[in-house]
Amino acid sequence: MIRFDKVFLRYDTGISLRDLSFSIEKDEFVYLYGDSGSGKSSILKMIYMDMFPNAGTVEVMGSDSSNIKRRDIAKIRQNIGMVFQDFYLLSDRDIYSNIALPLEIQGYKADEVRSKVALKADELGIRSRLSHYPHELSAGEQQRVVLARAVVNSPDILLADEPIAHLDEKAAAEIVQYLWKVHESGTCVVFATHNEALLKRDPARSMTLVSGEVVKDRQL
Amino acid sequence: MKLGYIIREGIVGINRSRMPFMISVFSVTIALLIVGLGVLAVDNSLQFIGEFQADYDLEIFLENEATINQKHELADIVKDYPGIFRMDYLSKEDAAALYNAEFGEDVLSLLDDNPLPSSFRITFEEDHRSADYILSFIQNVNELDGVDEVIFKKDLFNRVQGIMQLVYTVATVTLFLIVLSTVFLTANNLRLMILARYEFIETVRLLGASDFLVKAPFFLEGGILGFLGASLSVGFIILAEYGVKYYAHFDLPVKILDHPSVILGLILFGVSISSLGVLKAVRKMLRFVA
Repeated sequence: MIRFDKVFLRYDTGISLRDLSFSIEKDEFVYLYGDSGSGKSSILKMIYMDMFPNAGTVEVMGSDSSNIKRRDIAKIRQNIGMVFQDFYLLSDRDIYSNIALPLEIQGYKADEVRSKVALKADELGIRSRLSHYPHELSAGEQQRVVLARAVVNSPDILLADEPIAHLDEKAAAEIVQYLWKVHESGTCVVFATHNEALLKRDPARSMTLVSGEVVKDRQL
Repeated sequence: MKLGYIIREGIVGINRSRMPFMISVFSVTIALLIVGLGVLAVDNSLQFIGEFQADYDLEIFLENEATINQKHELADIVKDYPGIFRMDYLSKEDAAALYNAEFGEDVLSLLDDNPLPSSFRITFEEDHRSADYILSFIQNVNELDGVDEVIFKKDLFNRVQGIMQLVYTVATVTLFLIVLSTVFLTANNLRLMILARYEFIETVRLLGASDFLVKAPFFLEGGILGFLGASLSVGFIILAEYGVKYYAHFDLPVKILDHPSVILGLILFGVSISSLGVLKAVRKMLRFVA
């Protein structure tokens, strides 16, 4: 599903990723663990083709980063759900419209959009917030909205970039629990975090990054 | 359905950014108002100058002895000559009536016989209206039977033609500059409008919208913007024309409502610069988003 082959990524400020090679299969839940600046977000960005390696190749769902066309990137992203640290919610739209956006982009019919949004909103406990605007919600609620938007079209891959970084313990636990539920329904989940406790608690593969290198890959 | 998304987002986009949209409509209105008034000013000027020119370019006077058959033959030859726009026949009686109208005297009361000759008044098509062409026509006509004299006021003709050409050239250059600055100003305004939508463009790209799907609603929005701007400018021009008529008591010879092609041109121009301007701004922004 995801394959990194001898990937190097260099920022202006210095090298970010060095000689990275690994694969992630369809049925995996993977924690990318590391401190800030270790390269977790860069890996996620390369998976959704927002960044491209300076050397090596990244292959996602059969598409190769070295020769992918811009229009194919859009197709790949339609099969990748993304939970961003800084939400990317549209401030001038209500919660319903934010969650519905990926479905509308993919051309779903209005009644399908309504039922799918309602289903995800129910699952994440934000049904009563659908007519509200993002600024009216707490950080935990906003993150649940982002999660609902990421999974509303049942993607093959779900990428989560520090999704619980700004949440309290209870809200964080709910988010993690929901990510596991999504995984159990058949979605490959890649979860970037600096929270070591998660790795110890959850039975999942974890890759530890230090200065752009995978120093430990704990397979189950 | 994606078409539904495009139409909905195009209209919703207007609603969500009402103020920048209205400012852009206003800027298109002002720009097209200047263009429209410029076009009409040029047309009216040319019409005004054209009034100094006679209703016809030259007059072929016929011999008094010319027979009906000779006149018919002459008319056929002249009519078929390339570049003739209009030919009017003035009989001796018409000439007497004109003399009467112009000098207030009946020529038949002064003389026993009508001495005024019959004639053909000729007007040339615009693209054959040059002194050289007309002189070569005169040369050919002079050789025909029944022709007594051809009167062509070359100096006046040349002067009026020269002034018209000058006005036309200056107007064309000025209008070109106006159109250029219109495009530039409108494009800048639209860029600012699109800049305010950066958040939306970046988000939908990340959610899997293709470039086409990002651009299409904006293209539609630009088209609506241009149509509204152009329609308002046409409305203001009509108001200005009425203003000139009722307050300055001057009826313009060329009005915009008499020229649907100018209205259509302004609307097409407005729709084109706005939708293409928006498209260009979005395309530029897409280079910076993922």
